Parts: sequence; structure tokens; C-alpha cells
Amino acid sequence: MLVCDLLVKAAAQFPQKSVIIQGDRRYSYADLLQAARSKAQWLLASKYPKGFRGALFTDDAYEYISGYFAIQMAGGIVVGLNTQTSERSLLATLQDCGASVIFSGGKFCRYLEKLMPQLDQIKNVVVAGSTQPQSWPAAFAKQWITEAEVLGTETHGASLASPLVEGNDLAQIIYTSGTTGAPKGVMLRHSNIVANTHAIVTYLHLAPADRAMVVLPFFYSYGNSVMLTHIAVGGSMVVNQNFLYPNVILDEMVKEEVTGFSGVPSTFALLLHRSAVHKYQFPCLRYLTQAGAAMAPKLTRSLKDVFPGVDIFIMYGQTEASARLSYLPPEDLERKPGSIGKAIPGVTLKLLNQFGHEAGPGEVGEIVALGENIMAGYWGRPEDSAKTLRPEGLRTGDLAQMDAEEYLYIVSRKSDMIKSGSHRIAPKELEEIIHELASVQEVAVVGIKDDILGELIKACVVLRTGTNCTKKEITIYCRQNLPAYKVPHLVEFYQALPKTATGKIRKGKLAAMADYVDGKEGTNA
Amino acid sequence: MNDCKKQIREFIFENFLFDADATALQDDTSFLEQGIIDSTGILEVINWLEETFSMKIDDEEMIPANLDSVNNLAVFIARKKC
Repeated sequence: MLVCDLLVKAAAQFPQKSVIIQGDRRYSYADLLQAARSKAQWLLASKYPKGFRGALFTDDAYEYISGYFAIQMAGGIVVGLNTQTSERSLLATLQDCGASVIFSGGKFCRYLEKLMPQLDQIKNVVVAGSTQPQSWPAAFAKQWITEAEVLGTETHGASLASPLVEGNDLAQIIYTSGTTGAPKGVMLRHSNIVANTHAIVTYLHLAPADRAMVVLPFFYSYGNSVMLTHIAVGGSMVVNQNFLYPNVILDEMVKEEVTGFSGVPSTFALLLHRSAVHKYQFPCLRYLTQAGAAMAPKLTRSLKDVFPGVDIFIMYGQTEASARLSYLPPEDLERKPGSIGKAIPGVTLKLLNQFGHEAGPGEVGEIVALGENIMAGYWGRPEDSAKTLRPEGLRTGDLAQMDAEEYLYIVSRKSDMIKSGSHRIAPKELEEIIHELASVQEVAVVGIKDDILGELIKACVVLRTGTNCTKKEITIYCRQNLPAYKVPHLVEFYQALPKTATGKIRKGKLAAMADYVDGKEGTNA
Repeated sequence: MNDCKKQIREFIFENFLFDADATALQDDTSFLEQGIIDSTGILEVINWLEETFSMKIDDEEMIPANLDSVNNLAVFIARKKC
């Protein structure tokens, strides 16, 4: 089975049922399938070869999902782009994946206009709507086409045949922050995604009557799995991916009678502390899912109080595993606080100690995973792939313990990745950017605990002798070169950074210390 | 009211728009639709309102009608301070 078959099957069973509800707009399964097929026909007519990379750069659910299935139907590989981006990040991703076509929302064309001269491989940019952006450079007019034109592609009555695509072929590349700084493209086969989708459907007991409130972006693996699992069962999605005003989301949950809600810990912290959730009732809500980072047991208990009678699923996974690796059943939530549960159906998890042997009860070991859902590797990075995909399975880098009943508990993560809100941020990427400033001698970026976001990003900076620089200058430089969510929340100046005897920066100590030069500006005379 | 709007604009530029052109923010520009503020940023706005104007914002008041533009913020502040 291919990923796009999930939509074809649901549309055959529930053609008139709403699959996407976005504000006042409702789209049926038949609408979605028709749009996906039309776009796929245009891709085929335009002679995109099997295995082409098609990028999606939009925050509109219907545009995104129809483009997602269209690319796969035409034999291509989907690359969902983060819409919270910077020109620099976007260019790096598009060059890395070698996308030849981009389906873009109109408001995101401003990024592409500037980058087109550096993107030789782009054959077409399909812009949502029916009119050309006024500022589109004339030199690239031939590459630009409106979505309306694409949907009206004339194939002279005959459907063009798709290339032969099999389960082992790649369906999607999801970019995830890599420990070395540059984001890495996780290659997922059709078979990986389909296996994971069916496993999640099974343990969440999803059914056609389910209706999810979707606040998570589709370009990350968590949101991607929410989308595919609900389409797999013929369910519905109420989509509002702006979590700026949680009360608006709560109103929609009540109005649309949603049965499920998925979030990361910061989503739930915002709901509990910055919304009127206590005053709402959700008679139709059946389940909540939490993943993306460890959630404090105290927060879980508060959720239980605010959503009485609602099943809470704590889940663990990685993009490299399509999404999910383990879950804690709701009935075990109070009995096993802090646990990530056990492997999902079809997955085997084991803990390997530093000697490569299976860890005993209570012993700490690295989580290693085997299953049909494990990625094919990292796009264009065979060395990284070989380090992560080993004969024993996927090395997750996460350290855990197992109790006597074989429930897993994460102890620590091997990488120093910062988890802020729904984002994973590689400190090295930020350090490299900040280091580009001439006055910066040394910089270390660390995560510090925050009740709402999980972690705040703190940049600890040492300036060169005889130079000065303000926090604002550093922040502005980061804003110019990084997506907004990667810009440090705090910048602090230090005379020196604490180091080990071998010269390695002691980041754990930095996260706590406040040895800054002064509150506003940094000078190093 | 105009002084209040000036103060709001200064805060938004200082914290979210930085060196952007003044035309990047009209008084009726939606922070949400234009992607000026994200879910972290709105918490900064709320903290700033509470500290600068010595007011307490209730959970129910965290809605676009009160917070999602310079105009909306100015009207909200004026109402709260009455």
C-alpha cells in the first residue's frame, strides 16, 4: 500500500464527508481527491520524473494536503517546508533536497522571489490562487504558474499514468534539526509511513467518527501523523495552526465537536496557564495525545483535572521512526507517571548499555528501535545514516531505563538539542550564526527550563577584546538569518565561558549561571 | 489614545520587527495574519501590558479582538484603565 492510497480508500468510502474544516471552509474527501488528482495530472503532463522532490510551502491545510497527495500520486517525494523560516534556512533546505517544483502560498512568494537566482533546479513554482504576485521577477515568469491553471490542466480526456511506485520507494523527506547544525532530511518510504499510520490508528482506536483539532504544523512528523491517521480512517480535521490565541482554538473545539486534540507539552502548558480552558466543557472530546518532549507529571495531572474522563496518551517517537515508537496507555497514566510506555504495535524497543549488551532492569541504556516504520536514512548523508541505522536497529540517542513491567522511562537525551515549544533547535546552528559577528569571540547556546515553552534559548557570548556589541545587535542579526523560533530569547555576555580540563564548554553550568557583564550592552575592553 | 498607539508600536518594533521599515506595521495590521507575533511573542505582549499599564489580563481577555493589532490593543488598554 502507498501513502496516497489512504486518501483514495477514504474518498471511496466517505466521498461527501468533510475531511478538512478550516474556518468557514469545508472540504469533502471527494473535493480533496479531485484536487490531488488534478495536480498530479499536471505534474505528469509536465514530465516530472519518478522520485522528483516536490516542496510544499503553505500554511493552508487544503493546499498543503492536496499538494502532498498529488506529489506522491505523480511518483514524487514530498518535502514539507517550515513556513516559519528565514531566506537562509529556506535556501539551505531547497538546495539540499533538490526540489524541482514548489507549491507555495501567495504570502510566501516573497521569500522565493529573492532566492530564485540561486535555485537553478526549480522548474516550476505553483502559486495558490489565480493571480500572479506583482513583484515576481520577470526573469522567472516562465517558471511561475497559478494553482488555478494547474487545476484546469487539460489532459484531453485521458488520465496520464503514474510511474510504478512501490512500498520501498521514498514518499517523503522531513527535515529535522541535526546535532551538527544543518537540518537533516529524514527519508521515509511509503511502507514506513503506512506501517506507522496503521499502528497509531490501532492504539488510539481511531474511527470514522473521530474529528481532530489540529494545531500542529503538517511539516513536522507529529502533525504529519495526525493528518495521515485521520485520513486513514475517514475522519475529519478541524485545522487552525495558529496557537496565538488558545481561546479561539477552544471555541472551535466546542463548536465543531472535536473528539481528539494533539499537542506538545508547551501546547498544554499554554492551554492550562494562558487560556480560559477551566471554564469550558468538551462533551465530545475522547482523547488527548502528547508527544514531542517529556511532559512533567505535574502538568499531566493538571490536564487530567481539566479534562476529566478524557483519555490521555503519552507518546514517544522520532522523525526517524516516521513519528511514533512508544505510547503509555491512558489506563497506566497514574500508575506509571513519567513513563513513555511500551513499544507501539509492530515496533521492538530494546535498551543497549555502553557495551552493546541489553540493559538489565533499572540499568540505563540507549533506546534502539526495530520496525517497519524506521527511515531509509538521511537524504544525501550516507555517513550520518550509517551512524544512526545500525545492524541492531535505529540508534535513537535517547537514554532510558526499563522497570520490572518493561515500561520505559527516558533518563536523558544524548544530544544537546533544545526543545522550545514544538521546535527542536540545534545549538550549533545558532552558534555558527552568532559567531559570524566580528565582535564575537566565543558563543555557547543552551536551553534553560521554562514552564510554558519547555526550554528558552539562551546565547552566552564572550566578546573580543576591544570590541563592543549590544544584545539587540545580536538579536537583530539572528532575526535576519534564522527563523523567528530559533532567535535566542536571552542573550547574556560573559568574561569567559566555563570549560572542562579538556577545553569543552560546560553547557550544563552555563544554563544556570548568570555571570553577565551588564544588563544591556556588552563590552570587552 | 495616539500616545498609547505610539508606545505600542515602539514595543512591537523593539521586540518583534527590529530594523523593519515603519510601513511593516499599520495600526490595523493583524499580528497573527502577518506572522509578526508567534505564540511565545503573545506572552511577551501580555507581560508587557501587565507591567507597563499595571493591569491584570484575565484568561478570557486573551482574544484577537483585544490583542491582535495596534488599534485593538489601544482600545483594550483604554477600556481596562477606565
